[in-house]
Amino acid sequence: MSAGRPFRRLFHFPWRSREQIRTDVDEEIRFHLDMRVEELVRRGHSASEARGIARREFGDLDEARSTLRLVDDTGERRSRRAQWWDALRQDTRFALRGYARSPVFTVAALATLALGIGANTAIFSVVDAVLIRPAPFPDPDRLVVVWETDRNSGTSHEPASVPDFVDFRERSSRFASLAGFIPRETSFLPDDGEAVRLPALAVSDGFTETLGIQPILGRTFTVEETEGTAPEGVLIGEALWERRFGRDPTVLGRTLRLDEGVYPVLGVLPRGADFGLLQLLSVADYGRSFADGGEGVQVEVWLPLQTRTSPASRESHPMFVVGRLAEGASLDAAQGEMSTIAAELERQYTANTARGVYLEPLMEVVVGPVRPALLLLLGAVALVLLIACANVTNLLLARGAARSREVAVRAALGAGKGRLARQFVVESLVLALAAAALGVALAFGGLELLLLLAPSDLPRLSEAGVSLRALGLTLLVSVGVGVAFGVLPGLQARPNDLQSALRSGGTGAGRSRGRRGAQSMLVVGEVGLAVLLLIGSGLVMKSLWRIIQVDPGFQTERVLKADYQLPAARYPSAIANWPNWSEIQGFNTLLLERAESLPGVESVAIAGVHPLSAGFTNSFVVVGREAESADWPEISIRQVSPDYFSTVGVPLLEGRLPREGDGTTAEPVLVINQAAAERFFTDQLPLGRKIAFWGTPRTIVGVVGNERFMGVTQDAPPAVYLALAQAPATSGSLLIRTTGSPEALAGMVRSMVAEIDPTLAVFGVEALGETLSRSLGARRFTALLLGLFAALALTLAIVGVHGVLNYSVAQRTREIGIRMAMGASRGSVTGMVLGQGMRLIILGVSMGLVGAWLLSRLLRGLLFGVSATDPAVFAGVAGLLVLVALLASWLPARRATRVDPMVALRTE
Amino acid sequence: MSRESLELMQGTLDVLVLRTLAWGPNHGYGISKWIRDRTEGALEVQDAALYQALRRMEARGWIEAEWGLSETNRRARYYSLTAQGRLQLRTEASTWRRYVEAVFKVLDPTPGEAP
Repeated sequence: MSAGRPFRRLFHFPWRSREQIRTDVDEEIRFHLDMRVEELVRRGHSASEARGIARREFGDLDEARSTLRLVDDTGERRSRRAQWWDALRQDTRFALRGYARSPVFTVAALATLALGIGANTAIFSVVDAVLIRPAPFPDPDRLVVVWETDRNSGTSHEPASVPDFVDFRERSSRFASLAGFIPRETSFLPDDGEAVRLPALAVSDGFTETLGIQPILGRTFTVEETEGTAPEGVLIGEALWERRFGRDPTVLGRTLRLDEGVYPVLGVLPRGADFGLLQLLSVADYGRSFADGGEGVQVEVWLPLQTRTSPASRESHPMFVVGRLAEGASLDAAQGEMSTIAAELERQYTANTARGVYLEPLMEVVVGPVRPALLLLLGAVALVLLIACANVTNLLLARGAARSREVAVRAALGAGKGRLARQFVVESLVLALAAAALGVALAFGGLELLLLLAPSDLPRLSEAGVSLRALGLTLLVSVGVGVAFGVLPGLQARPNDLQSALRSGGTGAGRSRGRRGAQSMLVVGEVGLAVLLLIGSGLVMKSLWRIIQVDPGFQTERVLKADYQLPAARYPSAIANWPNWSEIQGFNTLLLERAESLPGVESVAIAGVHPLSAGFTNSFVVVGREAESADWPEISIRQVSPDYFSTVGVPLLEGRLPREGDGTTAEPVLVINQAAAERFFTDQLPLGRKIAFWGTPRTIVGVVGNERFMGVTQDAPPAVYLALAQAPATSGSLLIRTTGSPEALAGMVRSMVAEIDPTLAVFGVEALGETLSRSLGARRFTALLLGLFAALALTLAIVGVHGVLNYSVAQRTREIGIRMAMGASRGSVTGMVLGQGMRLIILGVSMGLVGAWLLSRLLRGLLFGVSATDPAVFAGVAGLLVLVALLASWLPARRATRVDPMVALRTE
Repeated sequence: MSRESLELMQGTLDVLVLRTLAWGPNHGYGISKWIRDRTEGALEVQDAALYQALRRMEARGWIEAEWGLSETNRRARYYSLTAQGRLQLRTEASTWRRYVEAVFKVLDPTPGEAP
């Protein structure tokens, strides 16, 4: 009792329109009444009497008509639908059988498309998470970062001073609210076990309100708490809550031991509450804090900043300021107002000389730096999909050619144009959807891989999953591709040339020339796109190589790094006593002593920050040249123990290095880097001059080489190195040059620090080479993926060239046979096929080169030390393609020479 | 029509139509006429109900419809039994027979003797 049974008969009918059904029903009823009247008249009734009887017998005529029409209408629609599905099932079955019959074609087409779709979905998922998905704050577009600028030093991304922040807030009207925060490293001592470092933010009042963060448990700070008139408490992040408290809601009653203090937990902030923070910190000119600290850093603790009670100077700039634009206020208007306020402050306070304000949208800060690279990758992967589609279209064209006889037979047997076209569309859709399914599976794997390889500074990467949007897009693309594929062979299959197709026995000689033309165009396009991709990835790789070649000015081999922060409670650091911080000095001495006695240690040093951290800057004067110094930019200040330079391999160029004797009782000394010597001492020798800041003049005793501590791709700014004993710091980086592998020492270093101070949190313990290589993570990632895509593109293009030549040789077997029978040599046949291949390649390569040249502008920002039209890369790629394509043409060419003239002539 | 017509019982019409069509394809008027003639007008069949029953059975797959030419050379919609309809007729007819026998057994004063 199949449901299809009652509908089958309907295939005999052409489909009936609503109008048709109406007349059919009327006709059926009229026929009935007429016949009955006739019968009654025969029996002796008068005509009018008979009509009356017949109507009475029939019942309600109008109702019957409308009921019958309705029934017929629905039935018609239902059976139409059923037939549509039935035909679809048939077509699908037919398509599957066809694919099963040619497994090589099927595997090739599926693999090609699935790779393209999979790569696209994976990359799009990342782009979606990073660039497209909105920030976890309400109206993130209204959030702006308030930077201070310094006309003297030319910096535009400085944090504010706390008094400046207070003034900004009081004087501005274009912001609904302004909030500030200072990043801090805190040491958290759990009840059980070792101290750990927790990145924290000390926040002003209104911080959570400005951003629009809602706690998932408990509450945020009150104004009294942030002003310091109420006892302090802390907010913790969701991750910490999960890790340390197993999401236990009773955490609200508990306390947290942080930096020797004990704080009640007031609330829990959701994941994403620190959205964009690392990006914000890392574009700052200094004060980047834990943003320089390594992988997977997230804010775990929020503390009240207590702006009212803590004394703050206008000289120190620790405060990051974020504002939410007021209703109706534009960025420009806010910028204008803030500039006016900055000018007022400049007149009022000498410390604000040359200072301005620069507003930058938060989203720009967060995704601005990664956008070009991600869009480049998205573009690249889209090109790969294009090439894949071209390849599959080519395969389908070749297959379509082989099937022209089958199509002709079906057409001859009565399959309509629409029916045939539909069959082709269904076939392509089946292929495209199967490829999409495979592609999505690939995307899941690929995304895993991407997340593994992606640099840690890519914002919001943890949120990336194969997104619904990506899935939707994939489906759209694959269906679009499917329909596009369906149209081409469908057009080919038009049975208007039925007889010739039947007669020519399947090779479709009449149309093969046009088809070959289409295939050739596709191959040319593929090669062009592949060239584009190869050049792009070549340029990016060459940049990476150039960067790796850059001498950072220090040596990372065999150096281990370990960072720490000394809690103020046990290591007092009152400004008044500086530099006589006896606890900190004692700790430094002990740490160096113990570290030196570890096995396999060559030299040991302590630095305020490690060689890849930007550290901080300060204004300064050269004694005797005060007037001139006022216009100079600030200088980077780095505190190092005597062996720092030998440990990280920074050469001494002039004078001497800081030494053991340079203590608090000795004359204050410093060494400057080459950049400082060249910038500030062009017409006098630096040695013996004095540089003054923080109220102390220090004598320059030496000049050392430049370290690229702003990042390998940036030149070293002018810097001074102070002797650590004369300028102790509350945090530091222990650097150990080893004789063997530095990683082997990591465990020993941890336990050594624990012996000195069991509650001290050590973090960022890794080989310095690791730190360096991670600082290039984004570039490596881009280069690796681009390289992968380019390789994929190259492979696909070569497969395309090979396929079209192979097909062409097969098509021209007869012609080649005749040529050989007429005495053409093997060489000339080989030359003919190779020549045909070369024409395609050269056309494609030229188009690719022109395209790459036109698009070079887009790449410029991502390159380093390489021109976007680097001739070596352009020539290399062109050469590579020609060479590889030559190889790809070789096989079909050889096949052509094997044609036996007799066999070739006989077969047709 | 001296006798009063009997109201048709639920489901009866279907079996009558199926039985009529067992003779061969027929149009709606033919079916109506055949039933009327056979029962000598004892059963009151509303023609509207008959056509609705035809549609219903068509949807169930018991009968099929096709346009054809009538005896008088007019276009008419012909209905014919499907294999499924034939099966349906057999089950319904036997159900009816058993039902009628059971009723008679009660109505008959001398059990065991069929009238």
